[in-house]
Amino acid sequence: MQDQDYDNHDGTSDATPGGYPDRRRPGELAFAGVLLAASLYLLYSAYGIAGFEALSSPGAVPMATTVVMVISALVVVVRTARLHTFAKETISGSILPRIVIIFTGLLIAYGVLLKPLGFLPTSALFLVASIRLLSDRSWGFVFAVSAGSLLCIWLIFRIVFTVLMPVGIVPEAEIIQFFRAFVHNGAA
Amino acid sequence: MDSLLAFFTVFTQPNLLLLVGIGTFAGVYIGAIPGLSVTMAVSILISFTFSWDVYPAISLMIGIYMGGVYGGARTAILLNIPGAPSAIATAMDGYPLAQRGEAGTAIGITTVMSFFGGFIGIAVLAVAAPFVSDFALKFQPRDYMLLAVLGILLVGSLSTGSLAKGIFAGAFGIAVGTVGMDPLTFTERFTFDIPLMRSGISFIAVMIGMFGVSEALLQLHHIGLPAIRQKITRIVPSWGTLRKHLPLSLQTSAIGVMIGALPGTGGDIAALMAYDHAKRVTKNPERPFGKGAIEGLVAPETANNAAVGGAFIPMMTLGIPGDAVTAIMIGALFIHGLNPGPMLMIDKPDMFWFIVGALVMANFFMLLFGLTGIRLFVKIVEMPRAVLIPLILLLSIVGAYAVNNSITDVYWMLGFGFFGYFMRHYGYPLGPVILGVILSRLLDDNWRRAIISEREDLGRFSWGILSSPLSLTLFVAVVLIFVSQTPVWSRAKSVLGRRQGQ
Amino acid sequence: MKKFIIGAVSALVMATSAASAADYPSKEIQGIIQWGAGGSTDTVMRSVTPHAEKALGGTVVMQNMTGGVGAIALNYVAGQAADGYTLLMGAENPLLYKVMGLGDKDYSDFIPVSILARGTPILVANKDAPFDDYAGMMAYIKEHPGELRLGATGPGGLPSVITAMMNTVEGKLDVIAVPYDGDGPALTALQGGAIDVMPAVLGASIEGIRAGNMKPLAIFDVAANEKLPDVPTITSFNDKYNEMLPWGPFFGVFVANGTPDDVVAKLASAYAEGAKNPEFVALMDNRGFTMMGVSGQEAQDFLSKWQQNTTWLLQDAGLTKASPEKFGIARPAK
Repeated sequence: MQDQDYDNHDGTSDATPGGYPDRRRPGELAFAGVLLAASLYLLYSAYGIAGFEALSSPGAVPMATTVVMVISALVVVVRTARLHTFAKETISGSILPRIVIIFTGLLIAYGVLLKPLGFLPTSALFLVASIRLLSDRSWGFVFAVSAGSLLCIWLIFRIVFTVLMPVGIVPEAEIIQFFRAFVHNGAA
Repeated sequence: MDSLLAFFTVFTQPNLLLLVGIGTFAGVYIGAIPGLSVTMAVSILISFTFSWDVYPAISLMIGIYMGGVYGGARTAILLNIPGAPSAIATAMDGYPLAQRGEAGTAIGITTVMSFFGGFIGIAVLAVAAPFVSDFALKFQPRDYMLLAVLGILLVGSLSTGSLAKGIFAGAFGIAVGTVGMDPLTFTERFTFDIPLMRSGISFIAVMIGMFGVSEALLQLHHIGLPAIRQKITRIVPSWGTLRKHLPLSLQTSAIGVMIGALPGTGGDIAALMAYDHAKRVTKNPERPFGKGAIEGLVAPETANNAAVGGAFIPMMTLGIPGDAVTAIMIGALFIHGLNPGPMLMIDKPDMFWFIVGALVMANFFMLLFGLTGIRLFVKIVEMPRAVLIPLILLLSIVGAYAVNNSITDVYWMLGFGFFGYFMRHYGYPLGPVILGVILSRLLDDNWRRAIISEREDLGRFSWGILSSPLSLTLFVAVVLIFVSQTPVWSRAKSVLGRRQGQ
Repeated sequence: MKKFIIGAVSALVMATSAASAADYPSKEIQGIIQWGAGGSTDTVMRSVTPHAEKALGGTVVMQNMTGGVGAIALNYVAGQAADGYTLLMGAENPLLYKVMGLGDKDYSDFIPVSILARGTPILVANKDAPFDDYAGMMAYIKEHPGELRLGATGPGGLPSVITAMMNTVEGKLDVIAVPYDGDGPALTALQGGAIDVMPAVLGASIEGIRAGNMKPLAIFDVAANEKLPDVPTITSFNDKYNEMLPWGPFFGVFVANGTPDDVVAKLASAYAEGAKNPEFVALMDNRGFTMMGVSGQEAQDFLSKWQQNTTWLLQDAGLTKASPEKFGIARPAK
């Protein structure tokens, strides 16, 4: 089965993380370097919380953990640098294929549009665009599946669990009130 | 003796029975969807059941609680996305099983084991609640701190790859947990003067991002591959399998009850500790841990369901919540005109036995709903990936938003999703990050309380640990586990082993 | 489907014309609870609102929005349209945000719909503590300086205010303040012996006192509480406390400034009606809360007096980040 193949480097099960024990993946060293730099900055920031004021200061645990982060990141950088790269892999082939970049863009667009446009239109656009991208089914199928699943999610989260998603341009509350009044009058 | 009869209330009144059943059924699905949590469901039920009597209201809540704790395992096994924090450990061996097409077996064993763990938890609640709560009260800040350290040492067994990467991930998790306004002094930590950072990072958002979004992005690589066909035969595990795992499941249930009964720790920590325990005591698993070991399913699932009964122990005996859900139930009892507290057991013993009865019933319903309808659930993984992946992403977004009605949480969730994607690629385990976030407050708050209580005096602090039997036991456990993970120990063991062999 | 479209369209039309308050509420109202599910603010709000809904003839959807000691919820509601469709359900903390450096908004940016009830502080001790009343505790502190562990819940919390009162009256007490993230966890720790004494709200400790799991030292009020008639008042030990009492945390419902007067009036009468419900009154009474149910100018006065007294008390105790003077909060007249 092919799962055995990617089991080893994709981190499919979290208990057996990805990567190769004796090879470096493209970009791995850079990633470790970024982590080290970030850890150093966080250590500096943790020191800024309260310095060495007291054992019980709010900065004590953050400082201890960021020190551990710096040390372990350093070990990782040194070890990774010693490994040979994996010749068969490239960044665009194995780590960041085009489809992942496109989806990253879609998700960022979602985050940006969520507040001004509102939950329902943004989600509808997202579902239609992404399902269409991934499958070669007809537009009818794409619209039907998107609308159906969005309606389910909206009913569960908005109506049953009363999660107040950003409304944006859709007057959700008014529509709900209309239905409420409708049901109410119908029952009366 | 009359109050003992209240135990049977739920069995004799069809409407209560029905409500427990509906609750459990709904709970399984609420638990399975990441972002919908039992806590949310129960707090909405407070308004929903406002005008009801107290028994029906509590019946429904208990059903949802029991079903929800169990339901988290479903998506963990089928999609590698834990539906709830207490199912993180379940994903580690459950998903590899699903990838072999054995999701049916995995769900079967988790269901039966959840039932078993749930039953142990209820039994301890019924028989020994006052003793356990007395013991739980004895935990001082330093003991909670040692417990947190014990939890952090699990990093070693949560990751089989590079230990340095695991340690980094764990420390990173603790740091993430400290972001925002410190709840004890209101000092800002890692906020970089950005107002949005003040409220901190929701740990559910981290979990949904790291497991949900990063998994979905990873699945994009295999968009062309057909879904793995699942064999849905032999769902109910054989008697032999159950008997083989009986000793382990008893031990992990005990861990679950105790961690559940401690105020401030719940099923999530219990499940991870139980997983670690299983890894430690299982000498020869049929399959290695992380590749589909049955023990890796038995341990967390018994523990998190046993923690349900455990969480009721301080609630019923002292009016102190064992976890977030029981905190809301205390509010519900209060709204329904009861006075939850130490006097509840004396004033209203019926309530105690009624709850025990409802829990037993919910546990049976869980077994029933767990073993049926698997086929339908498995259809989810057999859905075309082109539809499944966008839906997972959308659900992750809604789920992260729902935690605290905050768009900021959505941004965090997406950020951690991308970060988790790279972590997976480069061999950093994600489990320790979540572990770190869960334990961060437990460690930080209690360390500070402990050292403040001793007037910042390390000597007095150490004496406190050595002079209390409970602290000493925890301390010895910490030392032993730490030593057993260092290279010195394995070298000593191999030397000893060779000698014995000669 | 046709019905749906007609519904949606007419709802849209309604939305654009719903500015007048005559038909308020024409849609559901969001109630943002400042504190987490299961807390006392949450419980109080979830038990009064269904009664108020009946009087209002509308729906209030309640949501918990936690974080930043409640500032996240406060800022959220302040940022919504001031049309009465977003309510803030909160406690006393926002009145201290400015001096504590927790935010630049407080209840002066809001109109009180109803101040529902007020809690009474009480000093409770571990049941094995070597003293039985307030005087005994003071003697113990004098004999064992730096030994007594007093529970705290962060700057601005009820324990910090009570401790400031004690410091003002008795002179600086030499005790260890152990911080907890709420009175629930702190009272648990008190029963487990991790702390010795805790200033708490009566409602949170009453069941523990009834069961004998903790002992009451003194009630922080000028008169004995009918729920615990045997517990002495703090003023019976030292009458200097009379100047500062009665003082207590409170729960209230608020709308942003600029909300039309008739909408506020409608909400206020609905909550006043809801707060009179016998079930709610009984529930509050059981927990030792004092019903207030005030609105309008009376509520405004209550808020500003509370803020003056408390902020200056904390200022004089050296616990604030910024002086109340800076925000135009005048020192209370003696």
